[in-house]
Amino acid sequence: MKSIIVTVFLILLALLSGSVYASIQEASTSLICGDGICSGSETCSTCPADCGTCPPSGGGGGGEAYIPPAPETKVIFSGRAYPKSTVTLLKDAQIAATTIAGVDANFQMSISGLSAGNYIFALYSEDKDGRRSSLLTFPVSVTAGATTNVSGIFIAPTIDVDKSEVKRGDNIAIFGQSAPQADIVISVSSEEEYFAKTISDRDGIYLHNVDTTILDYGVHYTKSKASIGNLLISSYGQVISFKVGTITVLKEIKPEISKGDLNNDNRVNLVDFSIAAYWYKRPSPPSSVDLNGDGKVDLVDFSIIAYFWTG
Amino acid sequence: MKNSKLQFKIKNYFFAVSVIFALLLIAVPVFAAEIYFKTDSTTVRPGDPLEVLVSLNTEKEDINAVEGTVLFPDDILKLENINEANSILTFWPEKPRVYDGNKIKFAGITPGGYQEKTGLLFSITFQAKKEGAGIIEIKDSRVLLNDGQGTPTDVKTPNFQFSIFKEAPISKSQILVSKEDKDQPEEFKPEIAQSPEMFEGKYFLVFATQDKGSGIDHYEVCEGSKKKCVIAESPYLLQNQELNQEIFVKAVDKSGNERVVTIPAQKPLPWYKNYFVIAILIIGLIIAGAILRKILWQRFIKSR
Repeated sequence: MKSIIVTVFLILLALLSGSVYASIQEASTSLICGDGICSGSETCSTCPADCGTCPPSGGGGGGEAYIPPAPETKVIFSGRAYPKSTVTLLKDAQIAATTIAGVDANFQMSISGLSAGNYIFALYSEDKDGRRSSLLTFPVSVTAGATTNVSGIFIAPTIDVDKSEVKRGDNIAIFGQSAPQADIVISVSSEEEYFAKTISDRDGIYLHNVDTTILDYGVHYTKSKASIGNLLISSYGQVISFKVGTITVLKEIKPEISKGDLNNDNRVNLVDFSIAAYWYKRPSPPSSVDLNGDGKVDLVDFSIIAYFWTG
Repeated sequence: MKNSKLQFKIKNYFFAVSVIFALLLIAVPVFAAEIYFKTDSTTVRPGDPLEVLVSLNTEKEDINAVEGTVLFPDDILKLENINEANSILTFWPEKPRVYDGNKIKFAGITPGGYQEKTGLLFSITFQAKKEGAGIIEIKDSRVLLNDGQGTPTDVKTPNFQFSIFKEAPISKSQILVSKEDKDQPEEFKPEIAQSPEMFEGKYFLVFATQDKGSGIDHYEVCEGSKKKCVIAESPYLLQNQELNQEIFVKAVDKSGNERVVTIPAQKPLPWYKNYFVIAILIIGLIIAGAILRKILWQRFIKSR
């Protein structure tokens, strides 16, 4: 009798604690098909993306034909970013994978389980100070059962300046990060475009001081690109501006909140797009959503969001 | 007499040179993007389908936003389907939809930019109604640069001329059997968000995915149970603002393939408010009470 009572209570305790634990943990358990975690009610038949493809059923003894699993549809990306930087891959503008580049800035990542069709992939990285690179996009036509290799990727350097305004005649430092020992070309717009060259150090850091005597008063724009030998050349990265004037104003060296980050979560993604979409062609949008300040939310505001997109 | 003839010739000569010089000065933009139509055949028979691809050539410009209005003659063409599958435009402030019977407005963006010659925006399938000739054209178009400022670039929009007559050769789209779409829509991750700028600060759901086969037909949102689903568009204002129930988001493509994603309850009920837990407690107490009563009764009997 005592053993029956103990057994019943143990069973009830197990049920109770299971329910309590589940209700506490449920919020932190991600039950999303496609998140890479085979959890909860996901199975190989309902969510092969997370749980893998189901093995073929057993052959038994009756001479059933073995059907090998279909070849995987995969895309592999490889190239160079910044040493130990996080590289993010977007598939059709939504985060699909991330990886950490090596000390030599090399990275490789793959994405599988794709359908045949045309995709727009994009890559970006973040340097040691949290500055994001510009997005590098790759339209890829994926064939079912085939592996597509996208190699030789070279993510453009990040760039920043130490002054938002510089007194003409003083120096302004232009710096950022790229791959180690890369040749960096810095462009500064002026009456004539001014070019400077430098080499990044073993951590990929580069810095160049520009004597502003050669620049006119007014706003100037600067950008940089990197190359390693003649084989690997990046495109120009993001463009930033500074002013040559009569006073010097130092710039805080911290990543700015992106334009387009409408909900201030340090990302520019579908949520920000949705906020702008809510106000699309509606009267009197909030100034925080009207990114170009023309009193309306239209294609121009979405273009600005698209430029600063992070996924 | 001869002098006047000579003067006439000289005047003509200078006039011709001036005209040629003026024509040279009218500069045709070298780097203008182009929104163009592409099809297998410009001549079809009545009753045949006519599939037209609306495509973009960026002419080496890096662009990230496109909008426009496609106009078609609805007296001789019947709109059957608009398909955004495989579009370079990932998100649509305005999905291509027909209005006023003969206009298709669209506006879309491609984050990160696009810089190619043959970017598909969307495809339109018409059915030829009757014999005749017509044009399909694009009006009010804008193509914006991926420069962080939304700078517009010049855009060319050549018209598409077609004709419908009984003796037209069979079009390739009739010959080719269209591939059946058996693939689910792409994986996606809906997100619950909140913003003071919309829905009065209430929680809303955002979701978007693509389908590489037949294109997305619609989405459904089910709050709490898969039996309570509504057709929804993103952003979707959540009915349950307590966020204490699972949410299911279903993407359905035009061939009926579905992909369902589950978002767990963000603020699950504490155990003491969970009906299942309370039910177990009550049952347990009843069983324990019954057993204890029996034990005490048996001891009472023995003691007597």
